Amino acid sequence: MRKFQAGLLAVVFLLTSILLGGCKQNSSDINESSTQRPKDELLLAIGSEPEGGFDPINGWGRYGSPLFQSTLLKRDQNMDIVMDLAKAYEVSEDSLSWTVIIREDVKFSDGSNLTSDDVVFTYDTLLNSASSIDMTFMESVEKIDDYTIKFNLKTPRSTFISNLVATGIVPKNLYSGEYYQNPIGSGPFILKQWDKGQQIIVESNPLYYGQKPQFNKITFLFLEEDAAFAAAKAGQIDMTSIPPSYASQKIEGMKIVEVDSVDNRGIMFPVVKSNEVDSDSSPVGNDVTADKAIREALNIAVDRQEIVDGVLEGYGTAAHSICEGLPWWNEETVIEDGNIDMAKKVLADSGWIDLDSDGYLEKDSVKAEFNLVYPSGDQLRQSLAMVVSDMVKPIGIKINIEAKTWDEIEGVLHKDAILMGWGSHDPLEMYNVYSSNMKGIEWYNPGYYENKKVDEYMDKALQAKTEEEANEYWKKAQWDGETGLSGKGDVPWVWLVNRSHIYLMKDNLDIGSPQIQPHGHGWPLTSNIEQWKWID
Amino acid sequence: MNNNSVLTFIIKKVIRFTSLLFALCALSFVLISNSPIDPVKAYIGADMMNVGPEQRAKIEQYWGLDKPAHEQFLSWASAVARGDLGDSKIYRRPVIEIISERFAASLLLMGTAWTISGILGFILGIVSAVKKGSWIDKVIKWYCFVLASTPTFWLGLLLLIVFVVWLGILPIGLAVPAGVLKTDVTLADKLMHFILPALTLSILGVANMAMHTRTKLIEVLNSDYVLFAKARGESDWEIVKNHGIRNIALPAITLQFAYFGELFGGSILAEKIFSYPGLGSAITEAGLRADVPLLLGIVLFSAIFVFSGNLIADILYKVVDPRMRGISAS
Repeated sequence: MRKFQAGLLAVVFLLTSILLGGCKQNSSDINESSTQRPKDELLLAIGSEPEGGFDPINGWGRYGSPLFQSTLLKRDQNMDIVMDLAKAYEVSEDSLSWTVIIREDVKFSDGSNLTSDDVVFTYDTLLNSASSIDMTFMESVEKIDDYTIKFNLKTPRSTFISNLVATGIVPKNLYSGEYYQNPIGSGPFILKQWDKGQQIIVESNPLYYGQKPQFNKITFLFLEEDAAFAAAKAGQIDMTSIPPSYASQKIEGMKIVEVDSVDNRGIMFPVVKSNEVDSDSSPVGNDVTADKAIREALNIAVDRQEIVDGVLEGYGTAAHSICEGLPWWNEETVIEDGNIDMAKKVLADSGWIDLDSDGYLEKDSVKAEFNLVYPSGDQLRQSLAMVVSDMVKPIGIKINIEAKTWDEIEGVLHKDAILMGWGSHDPLEMYNVYSSNMKGIEWYNPGYYENKKVDEYMDKALQAKTEEEANEYWKKAQWDGETGLSGKGDVPWVWLVNRSHIYLMKDNLDIGSPQIQPHGHGWPLTSNIEQWKWID
Repeated sequence: MNNNSVLTFIIKKVIRFTSLLFALCALSFVLISNSPIDPVKAYIGADMMNVGPEQRAKIEQYWGLDKPAHEQFLSWASAVARGDLGDSKIYRRPVIEIISERFAASLLLMGTAWTISGILGFILGIVSAVKKGSWIDKVIKWYCFVLASTPTFWLGLLLLIVFVVWLGILPIGLAVPAGVLKTDVTLADKLMHFILPALTLSILGVANMAMHTRTKLIEVLNSDYVLFAKARGESDWEIVKNHGIRNIALPAITLQFAYFGELFGGSILAEKIFSYPGLGSAITEAGLRADVPLLLGIVLFSAIFVFSGNLIADILYKVVDPRMRGISAS
């Protein structure tokens, strides 16, 4: 028996010593790396790994900086269009062709010149690829001379500019099946190493033509949320994105930076009555939400700031539109909300009365009651649904909240109110969500909203030759003083909040003034990566 | 064992194996194609808004989704028969490449955990049985019960907090140090990154083995022949050595090799927590986003893996136990 105890002790001792021995050696390693990491290096855990690699043809770099490639145009921190690879661009009289002239001094990181051949090749490949980038509206792209390219569109489309902003140019002669892991381009960085499933290490591109980044080496770690937060706590990384629930925990040496976004959440309503539209798939229409008074009252009754404070812990802004803060946003869409009396009046004026005194209103034997569906597992949307249903109880509207998976939601998409979210840097999104041409197509305009005037404005916006002109029409589509797609007009959606993106970073790291962030954390933050620096 | 019986054994196993693989793949395929997940939508993800019906049709055609399900399966199966597992939809490169890349990392992790938990569990089980009722037995039992009901991811997070955040002595996740070029990565670095995931998996595997070994050994120790051995004056150690280990070896082997399957599941979770680039993250992605070729590839691969575990156990029986050899020869 004694032998057993001795054996057990030996095993325990062995294990402990292995562990401790290893640890000791490593603790010095880590301390070295965190204190002695050179000033021009950065360690981040902000984005998730793009599975398709770093090939713009497969969708890499649509938001934020493509890092390894550069784009024809860019949006600056105010979301205004500025030149990048392009020197100038021009839209034809019929708005169908776009001519772009590019710089002549640009080299790929292997030293070869970037010419119009590469641009034509990039867009041609995109056009023919079955990837997540939809270029089907483009007819063709042709080379005029070495530095001039002409894009021909099938229909006028001012939002084509978003494609010029989002698409990184790949080198024709170096593009192959391996490009996704060997992305040679003309961007500010070179991909030095990619440990798949773990990290990428990038280094500054000495041949880059634009403003050089302050950091020579940046490592992007692909960590789970919990692991990334633990890494920040342990002082092993310089920056990570965190959910609002983590923001209350103080970490020494790190600060919380809140970046505004159009990452919005709102309620989509079916605006037609049931049986009004024939559909062979899922049922369309809802008799309660089809009444504008219901939607309008709801829009006025919810207290957005209270939602921001309560649900988002203050990390967000009130949303009144699909594109709050973007250049094509109409500021007049902001309304005074949290006004219960006003909401009650709207309902009463339209004939909604509590006939059976159960606390909820009725009109022509229809009860003011509808389902509000949110995707199961999404805590934020669940909280939003609950808060909204509480907020409208006093005005006599009953909301039944239900959780469903996205695939189940597809079955009730056209008949129930859904808590959804959008938020893109492309105004085309507004067209897709509100145009009558998009009724019931994919996830576009699921509520079957239609307003001739709005359609007209949006068509004009698409046909516009400059972004300024287009923006005027996008604004009018939201609210022109009489009608519009916003909460002031037909209220097909009730927008609730824009959730800010929260980043935890070292106290002395300065990320300049980033763009207003789109739906989705991480990579978009890199759009101004050349401004990032240490402050002393 | 004569040659004839070996041949029958092999033929039987091969038939069983191929039919198993086929059934497994067919079943998985039916399950995925009937799952409510729309693969195109899952692929497009956040970009959903900017993909119209025309582009969607293009993607479906590219993936062969426009064909009926049985045709899709047959074309996949015939490609597999030729040794081509197809291309992953989400990673957009050959499945075999992804699996081989990731399996190497997983294998090392699972191998280590398997060995450590097996040996440690066996030893703890024996100690606990011999010392039945003593404090040492109670401690081991308590430890095993707690572990048996601990989910992998929870233990992983706990270890993460203790060793990385509080003690700060181990690196966070990954298989290599952050921001260090391949040429500068040392074996010691890799080892440090290996400790936490391997530890998580090893600790969890111990419980099963220890508790089964304990029960079996107690049974043996209560038998008449052990009583007789005691009467002959054999010491505890001699009894365990001469009568115990021989009798508990077989169930232990069964258990240890059957554990292959469970290990696979556990490693998926452990890899996810520690961002360890094994098969785990690939299979989760493939499942959640209905990447049929990748998922079927991994299913195929894990089936082979688990099957070989059981096969090795079968062969070992015959090696370890002379009685089994007798049976198969007759």
